Amino acid sequence: MGVAVLLKQVPDTTAKISVSGSRVDESAITKWSISPYDEYALESAIALKESGVDELVAITCGPQRASKCLTEAASVGADRLIHILTDADFMDSCTLQSILSSAIQRSGCDIVLCGKQAADTNSGSTGPGVASLLGYSCVGSVTEISMDGSKISATRLGNTGLEKIEVGGPCVFTFDKGEVELRRPNVRGIMMAKKKPIESIGIEELGIEIGSPKTSLKSHVSPPEKPPGQKFEGAGSIEIVVSKLRDEANVI
Amino acid sequence: MAYEALDFYDIDSLLTDEERMIRDVVRDWVEERILPNIEDACREGVFPDEWRADIGEMGILGAPLKGYGCPGLSYTAYGLICQELERGDSGVRSFASVQGSLVMYPIWDFGSEEQKEKYLPRMASGELVGCFGLTEPDYGSNPGDMITKAEDKGDYFLLNGAKMWITNGTIADLAVVWAKLDGVIRGFIVEKGDEGFTAPEMKGKHSLKASITSELVFQDCKIPKDRILPDVKGLRGPFSCLNNARFGISWGAVGAAQSCFNSAKEYALSRIQFGHPIASFQLVQNKLSWMLREITKGQLLAYHLGKKKDDGTWIPEQISLAKMNNVDMALEIARMSRDIHGANGILDEYPVMRHMANLESVKTYEGTHDIHNLILGRHITGIQSFTREP
Repeated sequence: MGVAVLLKQVPDTTAKISVSGSRVDESAITKWSISPYDEYALESAIALKESGVDELVAITCGPQRASKCLTEAASVGADRLIHILTDADFMDSCTLQSILSSAIQRSGCDIVLCGKQAADTNSGSTGPGVASLLGYSCVGSVTEISMDGSKISATRLGNTGLEKIEVGGPCVFTFDKGEVELRRPNVRGIMMAKKKPIESIGIEELGIEIGSPKTSLKSHVSPPEKPPGQKFEGAGSIEIVVSKLRDEANVI
Repeated sequence: MAYEALDFYDIDSLLTDEERMIRDVVRDWVEERILPNIEDACREGVFPDEWRADIGEMGILGAPLKGYGCPGLSYTAYGLICQELERGDSGVRSFASVQGSLVMYPIWDFGSEEQKEKYLPRMASGELVGCFGLTEPDYGSNPGDMITKAEDKGDYFLLNGAKMWITNGTIADLAVVWAKLDGVIRGFIVEKGDEGFTAPEMKGKHSLKASITSELVFQDCKIPKDRILPDVKGLRGPFSCLNNARFGISWGAVGAAQSCFNSAKEYALSRIQFGHPIASFQLVQNKLSWMLREITKGQLLAYHLGKKKDDGTWIPEQISLAKMNNVDMALEIARMSRDIHGANGILDEYPVMRHMANLESVKTYEGTHDIHNLILGRHITGIQSFTREP
């Protein structure tokens, strides 16, 4: 049995984002990282591999720079790396799901892990969308999974407490941030990763039909600037500060 | 906001993918583990054991050495590791320099096969910590006149003498100690617990406070005959170790300077005086531009020296120049950065005063600034001026 982990490369959560024209200026982004929820998926995928899964396949879809995600995954234990290359600056969710589903089929994996949403778009549609196209079950927002014979049990936060869910058969799990500590690659892993080939595949090579996208990106705009802070001095301003804290900030 | 290391001449584009990845792993670790804890460690005067374990786990110890569980990285990668560690704190970089360049390296280059097998894999993983005993209370820049001696007693060697200013001494599991055997300097491996060996800690430092500094005392210390490093005699032994460590320092100093520059830049942009950020004043801009200029030059020196180390075309004088120049500029930048921070610069909320105090040690250890000048003076003129003797 193989496990696939879907990794998306996003601007690092600490990177400065600027908009130029009507698009985010990617050239000004100095650091790209694996989307944080995907990192939890990767961590769990490595743990599954350690508990006996045959193969861990890391899959990404994006421009050339996104291959760094795969090398990072290889440095912590991914066995096979699949990169669906595209230079599209925006991809309709349905299109992306078709592409990823096809890549997963190619990998032969019936367990798929990914983040519950990506840090840049926050759309949260990839996991469920892929599951629906592949006809797999989907368990969302899990924090832990473990192998139990041929079944996988997953833990997630339900509305009354922790839920334990057991799944048999092909399934997509989407990951929330859990308590688990992410492992850091070491030098040995990095040197091994450099030797691992990346299967780079163009979208046209996947042999799938992609319908015309239903959604398209019109423009990016920067969020409005925060209004400047207000300053109050002296005992005379106590009343107004109290009223602002109570009525505007709602903190007292 | 993410730490953006100053890289005005885009050295980053000259690095390989692995070098960048290794640098980023160390950079992230420093960000997560060192920066939030370094001031506490300094205050308590400890080198937390978790740092040793983490550094071992990252697999960066003895970076350029090949085989015996060592990473076998390029000298540039080794330099980048030093740069990132020292951006955190010179004490953390010192730990790695001593372990890798001063203890693992001589065992790797001059040790017997058995010694290599016994020590190197466990030192690369951080399980064993090493220290390096060369300097003595009365012999610092002039190690050739050291007093510590070894006697061949047939079944064992007997060591007598004392070493001082030894990084990692008290926490070390083994020490590479240089001592005179029949008047010739030889290297010996002394293990913690060997009879007649103690390593009391030196207290009261105003610098490298998160690094352990010790004396090594040998009082009729008996060590087995197989603990001598068989393949080196004379000062060439310790000096070849120092060449590697000094190379690492030339990169490390860049890291400390980058940290001070960043802090000064951010502070100057946010500190308002006379109604304007102080970064808008010409005197402050002059200082920032000087820092940028010196760091950029230092980076290029270190990078090019790394390439020369990798292709074997270096000479020791080139290492002297890089160590001397880069530590000197880093110390000056730390002082200037403290100045830009005004009174706030003396607080531990900012890293600058800590770097400044650390760099005073770095300027002195591993060949003082002045001694490196004399090494270059000899190189230029052909006339040595270390001693009055001919």
